Amino acid sequence: MIDIVFLVISIATIFSSIMVVRSKKLVHSAVYLAGTFIGTAGLFILLKAEFLAWVQVLVYVGAVVTLILFTIMLTRKGEEE
Amino acid sequence: MIANAYELIVYILTLFRVYEPLLNVFQALGAEYVLRIIIVLVEIAVLFVFVLLTVMFLTWMERKVVAMVQSRYGPMVTGPRGLLQPVMDGVKLIGKEDIIPAKADRWIFTLAPFIVFIPALLVFIPLPFGESLIISDLRVGLLYIIAISAISPIAILLAGWASNNKYSLMGAMRAVAQDISYTIPLALAAIAVVLLTGSLSMVDIVNAQGGAWFGVIPQWFIFIQPLGFILFLIASIAEMGRIPFDFQESESELVAGFFTEYSGMKFAMFFLAEYAHLFAVSGIVVTLFLGGWTGPVLPFIPVQITSLVYFLIKTYAVIFFAMWLRDTVPRVRIDQLLNLGWKIMVPLALLNLLVTGFLVTAGVMV
Repeated sequence: MIDIVFLVISIATIFSSIMVVRSKKLVHSAVYLAGTFIGTAGLFILLKAEFLAWVQVLVYVGAVVTLILFTIMLTRKGEEE
Repeated sequence: MIANAYELIVYILTLFRVYEPLLNVFQALGAEYVLRIIIVLVEIAVLFVFVLLTVMFLTWMERKVVAMVQSRYGPMVTGPRGLLQPVMDGVKLIGKEDIIPAKADRWIFTLAPFIVFIPALLVFIPLPFGESLIISDLRVGLLYIIAISAISPIAILLAGWASNNKYSLMGAMRAVAQDISYTIPLALAAIAVVLLTGSLSMVDIVNAQGGAWFGVIPQWFIFIQPLGFILFLIASIAEMGRIPFDFQESESELVAGFFTEYSGMKFAMFFLAEYAHLFAVSGIVVTLFLGGWTGPVLPFIPVQITSLVYFLIKTYAVIFFAMWLRDTVPRVRIDQLLNLGWKIMVPLALLNLLVTGFLVTAGVMV
């Protein structure tokens, strides 16, 4: 049971971390980055490190991704395409 | 002692002599965990239905309270005293055309309402509705709640950005700036409670408020932490984005803020998340400062039912306060809001934390 959950979470995490690099738009990358961090938090929960998991969500998803999104939105739109 | 809702369901099933046969059937199939998953799914379904009904009731209550303050009747036509009005509103919203602006980022535009709604629902997991009426008593419940609430600013930013509309983007920027600056006093005020309890678990926090001084005054943390309570209440109303702090959607300036471009079901999702959040935050205020589900124990009635009633009464009192405030106080300016957050509330919260920590270490409190 735990193995299946581990596989699902790690595949999702790896997929979203690849998509962070491969996305055409920066905002999409940021969303995938949030997915990666949440996946990592899921792995921490599987390791029974609840405190670490929720601190991961609070600091990385709550603060770092928000900061990145703010930066993307406040800077000039890059030459897409 | 029944610890959570899962054990409560097992207890009730055992009481009706259903659990043993069920367990035997699933064990014979060699799939005991299927039964566990089914019970958990039942819990989630009950929670979901409860949240939906609460949201419907809250929209009705909000309109009634506004009407009461303004000497009107409010919705009266559909159902007794207009009670079925939310159902009609929901049907109308489902029937609306789902418009996506031509230049919007379709993928994120569709995703954002869901990212707003999921944290609003997840916050309910460690919230104690009553004695043993809790989905899961996480050891780090309070941290979990603060962490999960930190996800919603991302969704608001995404919604505002994906709409490709200047009002949406400005609304989103304001909403997130406000959210970030008020999370700090919110968390600091909550940490003072954690210092008093010595635990992050919501059930432990409620149990710590169970006693009474001189047998009369309940030992709620509002009496030990009056400043913390006021800070937490103001910060949580600001986090919910309600008047007097509703910069994300201040109608006179920003049309409707970050959900200007949303219509139909997606708009309903934002609405749903907003009211679910209102209930959850009021529940957290009650749990941290107003004694949670504690109250006088009545004979012959199971403690689960009485505690649920106490919890709902207290929560609706806080919700009524928020609605009352909305109808009484005008909106503040954005600079006043940020000044209040950073120059007054953060220092006061730090002072509160310092004094509490000092008194706890000196052994005066607890």
